Amino acid sequence: MRFHLKVFTWLLAALLVGSGCRREESLSEEEAAGLKVRYTVAASKVRGLDPGDIGDVTSSSVASQMFETLYQYHFLKRPYELIPMLAESMPQIRDDGLTYTIKIRQDVYFFDDQCFGGGVGRQLTVHDFIYAWKRIANIKYLSKNWWIFDGRIVGLDDFREYTKSVERKEDVDYDRPVEGLEALDKFTLQIKLTKPWPQILFLLAHLPTAPMAREAVDHYGDQLRNVAIGTGPYMLKSWRRGSKIIMVRNPKFRKVTYPIEGEPQDKSNGFLDDSGELIPLIDRIETTIAEESQPYWLLFMQGKVDAAGIPKDFYNQAINPRGTLTKQMIKKGIDLIVREDPSTFWFGFNMEDPLVGKNLPLRQAMSCAWNRREYVEVFNNNRGVSAKGIFPPMFKEYDPNFVNTYTQYYLELARKLMAQAVQLNNGKPLEVTLSLPGTDTLSRQMGQYFQRCMDKIGLKVKVDYYDWPTFQDRVKTKSLQIFAMGWVADYPDGESFLQVFYGPNGSPGPNNFNYHNPKYDQLYDKISVMPDSEKRSKIYREMERIVCDDCVAIFSYHSIAYVPYYKYLKNYKPHVFQYGLTKYRDIDLELRKELIGR
Amino acid sequence: MKTYIIRRLLYMIPIVFGVMLITFILFNVVGGDRSVELAGKTASAETIAEIRHEYGWDKPMYFNTVAAGERGFKGLFDSQLFHHLRKCLTLDFGKSIRDRRFIIDIIKEGAGASLSLTVPIFLISVLAALAISLLVAHWRGTKFDRILVVLCVVGMSMPYLSYIMLGQYFLGYKLNLFPVFGYEPGLAAVQYLALPVLIGVISGLGSEVRMYRTIILDEIGADYVRTARAKGLATPNILFKHVLKNAMIPVITRVVLAIPFLFLGSLLLERFFGIPGLGYLTIEAISSRDDPVISAMTFIGALLYLFGLIATDICYALVDPRVKLK
Repeated sequence: MRFHLKVFTWLLAALLVGSGCRREESLSEEEAAGLKVRYTVAASKVRGLDPGDIGDVTSSSVASQMFETLYQYHFLKRPYELIPMLAESMPQIRDDGLTYTIKIRQDVYFFDDQCFGGGVGRQLTVHDFIYAWKRIANIKYLSKNWWIFDGRIVGLDDFREYTKSVERKEDVDYDRPVEGLEALDKFTLQIKLTKPWPQILFLLAHLPTAPMAREAVDHYGDQLRNVAIGTGPYMLKSWRRGSKIIMVRNPKFRKVTYPIEGEPQDKSNGFLDDSGELIPLIDRIETTIAEESQPYWLLFMQGKVDAAGIPKDFYNQAINPRGTLTKQMIKKGIDLIVREDPSTFWFGFNMEDPLVGKNLPLRQAMSCAWNRREYVEVFNNNRGVSAKGIFPPMFKEYDPNFVNTYTQYYLELARKLMAQAVQLNNGKPLEVTLSLPGTDTLSRQMGQYFQRCMDKIGLKVKVDYYDWPTFQDRVKTKSLQIFAMGWVADYPDGESFLQVFYGPNGSPGPNNFNYHNPKYDQLYDKISVMPDSEKRSKIYREMERIVCDDCVAIFSYHSIAYVPYYKYLKNYKPHVFQYGLTKYRDIDLELRKELIGR
Repeated sequence: MKTYIIRRLLYMIPIVFGVMLITFILFNVVGGDRSVELAGKTASAETIAEIRHEYGWDKPMYFNTVAAGERGFKGLFDSQLFHHLRKCLTLDFGKSIRDRRFIIDIIKEGAGASLSLTVPIFLISVLAALAISLLVAHWRGTKFDRILVVLCVVGMSMPYLSYIMLGQYFLGYKLNLFPVFGYEPGLAAVQYLALPVLIGVISGLGSEVRMYRTIILDEIGADYVRTARAKGLATPNILFKHVLKNAMIPVITRVVLAIPFLFLGSLLLERFFGIPGLGYLTIEAISSRDDPVISAMTFIGALLYLFGLIATDICYALVDPRVKLK
């Protein structure tokens, strides 16, 4: 027994001594070799890397480092401006905006991969775009992104119709011609539209429209989601699902240089220091997936990742009551980006519901009783702007002078409107049901807050909580009365928001309100073919007012992102459409060593 | 024993069928289909219909009388229920809704990571708990015993999540003794697994020590221990050779039954430490309502439990000669 106790004591002592030793920060092989490694963290899993079927933010962020599109947003200029990426120049547009001729670059090659003969990536041609878009049209492929092309390109809808008759997605004949997609030669693409489509260029900068090598699809089949055969500045090195993705510099990437012009203040902010340098400036990207907020934040605080969002529970650790970084963060060499998101969040009314759909005073009363400012303060740590209408402040159609009576917290008016609402209901007391997409504590607190606001005007609210898939199903089948939702613009054009209220887009389309207003629809038909102009912006604002007058939703807030980052991360200019931008970022290795010791 | 095992395996058939039926009712009848969500934010009715077709959600729920009319008797079973039964029986669970990958591949991939976490936790927990329980039982009634019992109760009362969050924050972040998060396959996994294993062991120790202590105390008071002492046997010999062996039946019940579940991983530890195992997969599937994955994991869990029960019975017979399996 004495012997056992001795061993036990020694083991315990060894453990205690061992525990007292702090782990030394070691350099990875790549860092030791002097390579620049960018460490990022994502709060959700990467679902797949097939751009044709991509629909979530994390997957898009990763895939956009490896796949490219015809156009991209300028990295530095604001307002956001489109510039060529795979295209050689901006398109030639003729026939009243119906025909686009696009020349593509001839120095673009796919990554080397076994799917190509000899394992060497071949040159990109316009056939790769035509194939990728026909693939999205193939109904058997079940792409989430058909909405991009739906009804837009001559003959593409017929191609989709044809795919319905095919038994398996592999049997679709992709050589079947589509009139609106023609290769004039290997490097010239002609697109014919069914009607003018001013937003087309924004969507040609949208990741799902990236070209796809047919050889890759034929070779990998369903496994294409797990590989990335693109043309971009980075290539996939490894992907441990749900854990880590590593991308490395594409050695065959064409010669592209860092922008030489930007906004006036960019020079003094150091964003033009790398002008004319060949990109990408960083050699390797390592993305860690941390879905829980604690490890996500601790990784950032330890300097294991270069930048991160601030989880709600750690907000006070990072930001002081003045809205700036705390001393602790500044001491660590952290800086802060505050960026407006192109988003609007609301509580939508199902206009086909017999109660809320037919009772305008009720909708208006609820909108007036909703305390937006307090909500943003309590639930978003003030990271948001109260909404007055549809457009977020970053959109040029946002009118700072617009006064929407029903989006002001005005209880007196709300009570008057409520009395009218009850009258409309034949004097019977009203009770409504709010549905929230979440069953967690936070959702329940939000539900209670909503109830408390409406209680002040004597409105009884029942709150239902659903998981996200069930909630979606209920919204799309028009089964909900009032639902919490929002919209994040896919491109910097207010039309992205306006489509959400367009009658023909009713459920299961994006118009979850099932709102039909003939005047609004007429205006939408008009603007949907109008090029950008002051006249069009005026109509956009008019449409916003129609929606606000009809009080289709309780417009709640536009979110603001706070992104702390270590100062060694260079060229970290905020960008709303931030896909594929790592190629412009840089790392100051000396400063990194000074700040985090490696 | 052979007859016993065959009989137990036969008993399993109705239970397995019951499990298949329950998972079908839960995920197909009550849960409904997920086509709308899969179609994306700008869904069209035709895409939703095509998705329903792809996943077989447009087929009749129980019997396909239309197909029976067209294709004969065989067509009658072209329904959601019979497809579900076939998937379970062939262990071909189809594809995950969310990842569109074959579920069996996902399970194979995650099992290794899960086992690398749960096996060390299990082994260290059992050995440590048994050793501590023997010592505590030996020194029963002393200060050492009382302090440990109090610590056990405190340990049992603390929520599992607190262990994880406190361990990660203090041992990983503040003291920097372990990596806060991450996973690497192979030998490199050791440094990443150390903290979750430590947390897993410590969080379970309280209840295990309490239970084993009670079992061992029952044995320590038995006549044969007094006889052994009277004969002059050394204490370690009495404890580890005689008491431990006789205390094994209840221990086995707990331990053997836990083994099959090691494959299923640890839900919270995997998620908090980024270990891509089956626990993580299951929690992800639950939060995103990936019904085929939840259904597959439920079915596999039930199967493992049933096999665990048979294994427990066999172990009884091996450890205790008084137990005969007929």
